[in-house]
Amino acid sequence: MRVLTAALILISAIAVGHAAPQSSKSKSTGAPETFNARATVGSAEGRGDAYISITVDKYTPEKQLQAMENALKRGSAAFVTALRAAPVVGRLTVGDKTFDVRWARQVATDKGRTISFVVDKPVYFIGGGLPGAKAREGFDVAVVQLVMDSSGIGEGRLVAAAKVKPGGETGVEVEAYDAEPVTLRSVMRIIVS
Amino acid sequence: MALRALTAALVLAVPVALVGAQGKTTAPESFKVNGQILGAAGGVASAMTMAIDKYTSEDDHKALADTLKTGGHAAFVDALRKAPAIGTVTIGERTFTVRWARTLPVGRDHRRVALVTDQPIFFAGAGAVDAKPTAGYDLAVIEFTIDSVGLGKGTMAPAARVKAGGPTGVEVDDYSGKRVELMTVRREMK
Repeated sequence: MRVLTAALILISAIAVGHAAPQSSKSKSTGAPETFNARATVGSAEGRGDAYISITVDKYTPEKQLQAMENALKRGSAAFVTALRAAPVVGRLTVGDKTFDVRWARQVATDKGRTISFVVDKPVYFIGGGLPGAKAREGFDVAVVQLVMDSSGIGEGRLVAAAKVKPGGETGVEVEAYDAEPVTLRSVMRIIVS
Repeated sequence: MALRALTAALVLAVPVALVGAQGKTTAPESFKVNGQILGAAGGVASAMTMAIDKYTSEDDHKALADTLKTGGHAAFVDALRKAPAIGTVTIGERTFTVRWARTLPVGRDHRRVALVTDQPIFFAGAGAVDAKPTAGYDLAVIEFTIDSVGLGKGTMAPAARVKAGGPTGVEVDDYSGKRVELMTVRREMK
């Protein structure tokens, strides 16, 4: 079972939660905006690819992020409850399925920005089709992290079914259902004329 | 869910319909296979190896076919799992046991090979949040055609159940409703 630690996903957003979010007024980095990416996962058994799209209507206000962070301190269930009570701020689309994003945060970096999203449901249980697959209970959300440069190109990670829980050095751990990590390649911010 | 009837060109039905047409013995033999399945969002590709130590004898085949006709899928699965292991399907680090395998000539220089494993190999689409239950899909059914050089293509129902019926006497219902396309099949040189 893979526990993602400080380097990954939410942590970057939560751990640097007091860094100044980028201005939503920026034409090149502000919402509304859409990212397209190719999700790829590989293992000894084979390789899978899927195209995903994430649209952000607006980034989650700092006050609501703080409320969800506080809820997380009370455990995974409290975090999920708080997340699902938060307003929808975007959508993640895979094929003909669309999921609600209720956590969206961007943090400026030297080369661009790091963006994290939390979807209020799992997107897919990777490996769930194998005979004898493990139980899905508790993997109630999906987590995405994008690392974008200033030109709108980047890469990222997707935890398609995740359990967010308190713990570890940073106070946040993201446990992935999938045995193999999902990489987001060719991440592109869509330019709207 | 639509039960997809396979035509005479496919899998179990051919041996059932053509009992006695088993081709000359080519086993032991093995095949390297590349499969893929595509959906609305993307696709999955996998390489696998199918090894056949020997093909199912005419008598054993007839007994299994009769069991399916009289007892249905559950009885067929029970009988299949009691049959001797005669081959394997290997995908990555996972190996599945083949307990039924037939081959028969097609035309002048092709032959058809059909295999049934005693467990499902993969439930395509079962990772979806709203996936249907997997119970009852107890087998995998593989069929391909190769030429005299040893090259060919085919299909795989990676999680299937079978029942007697339809124009050929056998119907295969695949969990996902969509088959894995075996894009390349290559008989291994000894």
